[in-house]
Amino acid sequence: MHKFKSLLSAALAALPFVAGAAGAQSIDYGSLESLFGEAVTTSATGSPQRSTEVPVDMTIISADDIKRSGAHDLPTLLGRVPGIDVLNWSTYGADVGVRGYNQPMSPRLLVLVNGRQVYLDHYGYTAWSTIPVQLSEIRQIEVVKGPNAALFGFNAVSGVVNIITYNPRYDSVSNGSVSVASRNGKEASIVQSIRLSPKFAARVSGGISKADEWADSVGLPAVQYRAEPSRANINIDAVASLTEKTELRFESSLSNVQVNDAVSNYDPAASKYITGSVKADLTSDTKLGLITATAYRNTMRSTSNVAGMVSLRNTISVVSVQDLIKVGPHTFRFGLESRNNEMATAPMTGGEVSYTVLAPSAMWNWAVSDTVSTAIAVRSDNLSLKRTGTFPAGFPLASNSNWDRDISELSFNAGAVWRLSDKDTVRLMTARGVQAPTLIELGGFQLAVPQPGFTLVVMGNPFIEPSIVKNTEVSYDRTFGKVKAGIKLFSQTTDGVKGQPGAAALFQMPTLTTYPAISWTNVAASEMTGFELSASGTFGAGFHWNGDYTATDIKDTADAGQNLVDLRANFADMTPKSRGNLNIGWAGGKWTVDAFVHHTDKFKSFAPLTYALTTVPAHTTLAANVNYDLGHAMTLSLSGKNLGNAKVQTAGLKVPSTVYLSLSKRW
Amino acid sequence: MTKRHPRSGALIAVSGALFLSLSSLVATPAFADGAREIQVAGRTLTFLDGGPTGKVVFAIVYDSSKPASVAEKDQIMAALGSGMAAGGATVVGKPVDAGAIGSAGDVGAFYMTRGVNYAAAGAAAKAKKTLSISSDMACVKSGACVMGVAATPKVEIVVNSAAAAAIGAKFKAAFKMMIKEI
Repeated sequence: MHKFKSLLSAALAALPFVAGAAGAQSIDYGSLESLFGEAVTTSATGSPQRSTEVPVDMTIISADDIKRSGAHDLPTLLGRVPGIDVLNWSTYGADVGVRGYNQPMSPRLLVLVNGRQVYLDHYGYTAWSTIPVQLSEIRQIEVVKGPNAALFGFNAVSGVVNIITYNPRYDSVSNGSVSVASRNGKEASIVQSIRLSPKFAARVSGGISKADEWADSVGLPAVQYRAEPSRANINIDAVASLTEKTELRFESSLSNVQVNDAVSNYDPAASKYITGSVKADLTSDTKLGLITATAYRNTMRSTSNVAGMVSLRNTISVVSVQDLIKVGPHTFRFGLESRNNEMATAPMTGGEVSYTVLAPSAMWNWAVSDTVSTAIAVRSDNLSLKRTGTFPAGFPLASNSNWDRDISELSFNAGAVWRLSDKDTVRLMTARGVQAPTLIELGGFQLAVPQPGFTLVVMGNPFIEPSIVKNTEVSYDRTFGKVKAGIKLFSQTTDGVKGQPGAAALFQMPTLTTYPAISWTNVAASEMTGFELSASGTFGAGFHWNGDYTATDIKDTADAGQNLVDLRANFADMTPKSRGNLNIGWAGGKWTVDAFVHHTDKFKSFAPLTYALTTVPAHTTLAANVNYDLGHAMTLSLSGKNLGNAKVQTAGLKVPSTVYLSLSKRW
Repeated sequence: MTKRHPRSGALIAVSGALFLSLSSLVATPAFADGAREIQVAGRTLTFLDGGPTGKVVFAIVYDSSKPASVAEKDQIMAALGSGMAAGGATVVGKPVDAGAIGSAGDVGAFYMTRGVNYAAAGAAAKAKKTLSISSDMACVKSGACVMGVAATPKVEIVVNSAAAAAIGAKFKAAFKMMIKEI
């Protein structure tokens, strides 16, 4: 903690120096998009790039896509991206995976809002309803498939979802909407941009929603089923021009969410989250390049039913400095990030587990010629783990010195883009990402469970190793007149796959003075190969379409003596072998009409309460949206999701159809 | 703990072979589209340090003896119409014969149509410390123009750093990272 505070102080001390320098501002996505005629992103290398030229596998969901989607939540939008799997657990509960490996509290995806991580770091998962963003304030959602840990760090092993909101300095966006939906669903949101002076602009947003939960088709205990889930989020985003061309961006948010989750052992849980954040970015152009200093703090309080109510608190603080500089055809990025992550032990209190990470990183992007570019990025994460406080009676490893441990891992991304012609692009990508153990896995969770004749301890494992994900991919995209088509081949390996605590494999054997213990451990290696086909185009007057198909084949290799089913790590079974989307839409006059079909192959899941391995049948879902322009900047929308008869999509609650009627207005 | 993953190596090999086997293909050349190119040129003003706001006059420099140059000038003037919005600026066009650049008056930029003697026109623009833009990449490569723009098949922007420095033009960092500087 002391090291973190020192770095924070140093970074803050540097801010006036940086701010005083002359140069350029943050990235004006809208103007760059208008200029180049396509979306611009920084999520590939940290440097602004055209979406068609990035050396990673990226899909961008635009603001217009969102308007026409009829979606009222982020997982619904993401589920239409090629290769994305969504497990729908409840009204506001879902898990998102990239090319398989999805599970409750899925820990392999890094989710950010304007570069701030919004996944919950104590266990590495994303509670999507806590993300404090209204869909109408999103400029674009950048979805990177495959590891991008060299830019973003831990968790970015299956992919990255970076949600980019409008920048109040450049974009004046004000709107509001109200909706009613099935099962007494009600939603309202408002986004208001304010320009107090030429040098200060802000955007304030908020949203509330509630609905009756899906019917309890499982027969859950009352404590594990919340009948009326709800969510409320507020966010402020303000930008001040400190000098003519240097800006300070400040963002702060608060979310209060009551939701039905599925926890990592597949038990349903009625959970409540209160999350908050404060973030400041200072961006300035100096003779040494475009320098960005960032500091943010995320706080999380939650209660979930996991063998009784468990209250968790987690605070993560991040300070980073980055320099982006272009020298001729070469763009370089140098970064240094420090983070401090801490949580009190729960549900049995008395201890605190924390770690600090110091991570230098660098990137080199070389425009070799007008048609060929390469990029390579490396990052070294150096984690120092620590535990303080006391241990409950009977717990093994009851010495804080067991937690005095350092973990150092290297991540890299390398990619090459070759524009063979104005119609053909080939990409080659390879990457190594690090999925660090979470605080829960490292000891944040500690529980003694009375059993007939003995007590079983569920505890963290201070010795667990990071999972290492390596990915190689080649893609080819071609335009045929009004049709764009692409093919991707990919292969991914994961070493040190983590398994859930399982009673069949004791982590610590009992002694005369300590109980037997189970914990999270590294249990397997896994390999995934697959391909993705995609195509899109336009026809007739105002019609567009897109379709995709992704096949994955996973092979798990258990470590000696490990039962992957018992440990919920049998990803070959838990992952559908294929998934695909088909979207067709039309726009004309005051109308837009879109339909979305999604197919998921069969896979296995674990039944809540009994944990029986259950086959989820292949299913096809339909969603649709109709927008009608009422004039006066008002739009009436009728949308529906999960239309049709595919109600069994997990082994948990059956997924009902939901219909929304919405009225929105811009001003 | 670490396992062998033979399928990964196979994919790398296949990928490399595919990448190399496509090396015989070549890029197709761009073609001119005056209306779209002037749009691109106007939008670059947003990324000029201390860039203009309000009404900005682009001198559309043409050679009256060359029909292609005159045609491009006419196409651009039609595209600009009574004014083209470009960020905080509104670009309006003013046809200027290449031989009369010296008397063009106070303009925000010189836009050289194809076929103009860009060496002479560029020198005149440089003498006025004024931004010079062309869809003819030869102009920017020679240093006569500060910026070259292409709109089709995709937007390309090339800035001659020496020519930009000569007139004191500086561009914002994010913009510079997305263009080609020579």
